[in-house]
Amino acid sequence: MKTEADYYALFDAYQSGQLPPEEHAALERRLAAEPDLAQQLADFNELTATLHGYGRRLTTRRKLRAMQAALDVEKAATEAIIETGYPTMPVMRISRTEQHLREFWSSHRATIAVAASVAILAVFATLLGLEMWRTAQQKPSLYGYTVLRREVERIKRNQRAMNKALTLMDEPRPTEEANPGKFSGTGFALTTDGYLVTSYHVIQGADSVLIESRDRQRFRAEPVFSDVAHDLAILRITDPKFNGFGRLPYSFKRGLAELGERVYTLGYPREDLVFNDGSLSARSGFEGDTGFYQISIPVNPGNSGGPLLDDRGNLIGIISGRQTDVQSAAFATKSSYLMRLVDSLATAKPAQPYNLPRFNQLTGNTRPQQLRKLQDFVFVVKVYE
Amino acid sequence: MGKGQPSYTDEEFVAAIQGGDDRALAQLYRLHLPMISHLVLQNSGTEDEAKDVYQEGVMVFYEKVREGSLELSCQIKTYLYAVCRRLWLKRLAEKNRFGGRLEDHEPYLETGAEADVDQAEERDQRFATMAEALNHLGEPCRSLLEGFYLQEKSMQQLTAEFGYTNADNAKNQKYKCLVRLKKLFFTHYKEEESF
Repeated sequence: MKTEADYYALFDAYQSGQLPPEEHAALERRLAAEPDLAQQLADFNELTATLHGYGRRLTTRRKLRAMQAALDVEKAATEAIIETGYPTMPVMRISRTEQHLREFWSSHRATIAVAASVAILAVFATLLGLEMWRTAQQKPSLYGYTVLRREVERIKRNQRAMNKALTLMDEPRPTEEANPGKFSGTGFALTTDGYLVTSYHVIQGADSVLIESRDRQRFRAEPVFSDVAHDLAILRITDPKFNGFGRLPYSFKRGLAELGERVYTLGYPREDLVFNDGSLSARSGFEGDTGFYQISIPVNPGNSGGPLLDDRGNLIGIISGRQTDVQSAAFATKSSYLMRLVDSLATAKPAQPYNLPRFNQLTGNTRPQQLRKLQDFVFVVKVYE
Repeated sequence: MGKGQPSYTDEEFVAAIQGGDDRALAQLYRLHLPMISHLVLQNSGTEDEAKDVYQEGVMVFYEKVREGSLELSCQIKTYLYAVCRRLWLKRLAEKNRFGGRLEDHEPYLETGAEADVDQAEERDQRFATMAEALNHLGEPCRSLLEGFYLQEKSMQQLTAEFGYTNADNAKNQKYKCLVRLKKLFFTHYKEEESF
């Protein structure tokens, strides 16, 4: 019985053709007949082939290493010659740091460029996103009156241009070139001795307030009290040269006005006094606010704080604002609230008492007559910040 | 290259290397090293890595040429570039630093190189298994087989070295060692295959 090693010796001899011819033929017959033996031969061949291949591989690797080493040596030698051989020749010398920097740049410039672009994009996207977010925040305010009033404060401080979009009555008007950065609204006399009424949002954030009458007389005034909820402000003229308005032709209505009543207003939406009329269309204001009337008078920025009077010359309200998405819907604070406010101020014993007019001189007069009497008691309220 | 060395065309290179001309191989090696070096350095590699990859690449080429199984459908330069590119991609993938794209500076063509690299890899696997098996074999078998197959010493030389009484004894010992190696090799190889 032959061992496997013996068979290997046999295979070796068979492969190298050293077997005598009859043994060779016998082995071939056996290989054809016995698959096990053939498999053994195949294994033997694979093993020796792999061994030989492995040996060659190692040799080649050594060869290549030697070549690389030779190249490295050569390179080092050339470098040495360049550094020392020709001192007169211009040799570009790069410091080690610079070389590193150059390598870094050449291998990473794409990444750096991408990173920079991403950073720039991110910055602009953030800015744009913030801006969009802020605009989105403001959107509802376009339709909301109460929200709108709150917006006023910020916008007035920040962006005058924004006011137009928000359709506030006290929008900055580019009027006289001598007084830049000013807002204006309308105001009217409350008492003969210097108290005036206007809208709160007109004087909101004011540093100083100036009252200008129709004949271009100017008086300095200061806010006495303001009621943010009803958009009311009471001013007092502090100017020493002021000596009273004279007798007020209108009286203030303490009750509620009737639906459908014909009403009108005077105001300064531009440099001249402007009259507008309409009807009282609802007894509640924006979103059912009971502090306001809804009126169908076309009002404009600058009308804010103007007086709202009925046919008989009773003062029934103070113009406050309008709704953008509804045709001709303006709002005016009810005079009953103004009266309540004055009453509560009067009980606090102010330095100057509130002497409200008792009698109405307008009743029975025609509209132009009424206006002629009225026009001296309606003022421009100029606000400086 | 103007150092009095003969310059070869691609066909001459292949012919010379097939004939075992080491000078041609050295010349070829020197010729294309800068290209691969540039490729690897451009794609977040170091000089040493470049040399490694290049040697692997030349090895693939060399073995194909020696086997006579090289089917060159393009320039040697392009072939080497393709092989080394593929090898470097693999390295990068192993290092997990590959961003999905290589910055090519040579025209990169689909050559047979890809298949050759895969084939070479399989062979690498087999050689690694063989090295493993040899390591497990133990002395003196290992030295004997290495002497005979890897260093290609003659039987007489080995007989003298290992102190066998005659060449036949040495031969018998060699066959016994081969049987043991076979067992080790095939178990390892089959294990890895079955993975």
